[in-house]
Amino acid sequence: MIEHPFFLIMLTSALAGLLAGFVMHRSDFCVTATFRDMFMFGDYFLLRMLLLLVVVSMLAFELGRVTGVLKPHPFPLLGAPSIATLIGGLVFGIGMVLAGGCVVGTLYKLGSGSVISAVAFVGMIFGSAFYAEWHPAWSAFAKATIITPAITLPQVFSLPPALLILPLAAVAGFLLFRWHRQGKLTRPAYAKGHIAPWKTALILAAIGFVSYLLVGMPLGITTSYAKLGSLLEGLFWPEHVAQLAYFKAQPLAYIPPFGSELIRGGAGPAFDAVAAIQYPLVVGIILGGTLSAWLIGELYLHYRMVPRQYIAAILGGFLLGMAARMVPGCNIWHLWGGLPILAGQSLLFLLGILPGTWIGSKLLSRFVIR
Amino acid sequence: MKEPTYIPLNIFGQVCPSCLLMTLKTLNLHSSAIRAGQTEIIVMTDDRQATTTIPAAVKTMGYLAEVTREDNGYRIRVHGL
Repeated sequence: MIEHPFFLIMLTSALAGLLAGFVMHRSDFCVTATFRDMFMFGDYFLLRMLLLLVVVSMLAFELGRVTGVLKPHPFPLLGAPSIATLIGGLVFGIGMVLAGGCVVGTLYKLGSGSVISAVAFVGMIFGSAFYAEWHPAWSAFAKATIITPAITLPQVFSLPPALLILPLAAVAGFLLFRWHRQGKLTRPAYAKGHIAPWKTALILAAIGFVSYLLVGMPLGITTSYAKLGSLLEGLFWPEHVAQLAYFKAQPLAYIPPFGSELIRGGAGPAFDAVAAIQYPLVVGIILGGTLSAWLIGELYLHYRMVPRQYIAAILGGFLLGMAARMVPGCNIWHLWGGLPILAGQSLLFLLGILPGTWIGSKLLSRFVIR
Repeated sequence: MKEPTYIPLNIFGQVCPSCLLMTLKTLNLHSSAIRAGQTEIIVMTDDRQATTTIPAAVKTMGYLAEVTREDNGYRIRVHGL
């Protein structure tokens, strides 16, 4: 029945995106707000939701690894941790706050009619394409600053992953249980059709697991932003696009879990494995936001904002798109996918976005919202 | 007893964190009158996130908030105890 190697991948990604976009819109599950509101308002609520998502994914991914259901482990595209990831994470944090949403938040908000998110999305495409111009230099810097060739923390210490994952999950589980007893995992919500964020955290963990199971890796979308950028740039300067090393490279090369042949993909304009995985996910998340808003009668254009907020959105989007290539990888890839398997890159990314979000919050309250 | 006056805050189109910041700014400007029950803030917004963050934030500052759905968005009434 499944003849084409991309069929199952595209179907899984499209459905995963649709469901993710829907529940994220209903819960306002904004990853930018998770970090930004911690610095701006001392609000840790969404951070607790992120911890729930990460811990559940951690246990599910480990169970999948031990039973052989989830493979390969670690999943493709994760590289050796380097200082470049830390710096990329910092720039990502600044961009995310200025853009008013991360790479995924922007999509479901755009789908529900947010014009400023559409502006940020355009900025991301430009930022991703701009990175291709200086990729060789950044790539050399990343290679020169590799901290360890190991991909994950258990590999660094040559330990079975469970030995690190189980104690960490136990501590986090204890904290979550305590917050649950204190009523800190829920809060009153009045928006129509609201879904409690803890439910969305669990649904997103389940989506990540299914994606890993059927596609061979958790959710990730930003290589497709560069891909879209290369497509658009190619309309005007095809020769220039054709000679850029970043658009020629195909870093993704793997046999998908339910496939028999090697599939490849990269940031170039061709319709390859990256396009098959990520384009349906992007479209799915946008349509998930649209469907959610439409069903509750809240689908209309939101555009009434002061010009400097639009300027911040396009600049932030540009930084975000560029930084996602510098890392490489976006926040959902690293926080929902890499962190649960204790990937070194993902841990460095997290370390980078914390000060980045703090700087972004200061810039936002100083220059954008006055 | 004198009826309280209202401070309208129309922030349709604005998204978080602007909604919360603008509400908190208005709240700080009129804090004593709001605490005394002389005035209230009526926020009009179409940002779903604001319907959660504004009530949660004002509650920690000792105020109350009620959210009702209007035609194209939400009405958040912020007042003293």
